[in-house]
Amino acid sequence: MKRLKKILTPLLLLVLAAAGYGWYAFNKKPADVRQQSADMEIKAKDLLQLFQQNEAAANARYVDKVIVVSGVVLSMQTDAEGKTTLSLDTGDPMATVTCSFYNEETAALKQINKGNPVRVKGICTGMLSDVILNKCSLVK
Amino acid sequence: MKAFLLFVFVLLVTTSVFSQKKYFTRNGNISFNAGTAVEDIDGVNTTATSIFDATSGQIEFAVLLKGFEFKRALMQDHFNENYMESDKYPKSIFKGKIVNIDKVNFEKDGSYPVTVKGTLDMHGVKKDVETNGMLKVAGQSVTSNAEFSVLLADYNIVIPSLVKDKVSKTATIKVNCNYSLLK
Repeated sequence: MKRLKKILTPLLLLVLAAAGYGWYAFNKKPADVRQQSADMEIKAKDLLQLFQQNEAAANARYVDKVIVVSGVVLSMQTDAEGKTTLSLDTGDPMATVTCSFYNEETAALKQINKGNPVRVKGICTGMLSDVILNKCSLVK
Repeated sequence: MKAFLLFVFVLLVTTSVFSQKKYFTRNGNISFNAGTAVEDIDGVNTTATSIFDATSGQIEFAVLLKGFEFKRALMQDHFNENYMESDKYPKSIFKGKIVNIDKVNFEKDGSYPVTVKGTLDMHGVKKDVETNGMLKVAGQSVTSNAEFSVLLADYNIVIPSLVKDKVSKTATIKVNCNYSLLK
């Protein structure tokens, strides 16, 4: 009996730990990009050019990465749900760097106007006609 | 005579410019739901681009798969790695036409029911889709709303038998875009 207990107790603990980890992994929220440090920093103009020159290479280098992009605000829009999207000037009249912000960032964005230089941190998701950044926040 | 020809020329140029009226958005909202009673599975993308021509009714939507946001980190990983293979097929594109665009009066505010027909290119597969939606005109801006379902098997999206009770065989896709006039 004692021996059985000796085997069963660790086994039970192991099962509990596995179940606990499973539950944790299943419910884990997506990472808060605001808490993460950026892998690299680049100017909006250079980022667009890299994507336009070689999209596959730029995808490999930037997509899924947390990056800081600097540039001048070209336009800004807040939708009905309070989500703000900001476009950074790239010098190309047809394409910008589009940054979609966390809803909680809306108050900070109220201080920003068209023509202001900004630094935006977010996750790069790739290029359509614009290069797109998700889960953005303003950084100093 | 010369003045008259010039007048005709100017008239032609201005009407053709007028007929090129296009609407555009770079922060369109596209969401999907593929959940079941067992598990809610939904993702939302708020950086879809879309453009349509107010005269011909030509309309396009494009979205980056990596831009879909989820409630759970694991769901996003599975979506990108197992189901959509986002590294291999980073974009989904719809190209089509609003077939009854002539029924929409862009000079008059209101909601207009529209029918859209076109091709959805997703996960490397192109298929025809047709759906009804609404175009809402309010001054210079236009809002589009539509909802349609796709059969995942049609797009070679395989659901492992282990999770077949959790993931629906069809996904409901909702489109909500707020356009402004392209200058």
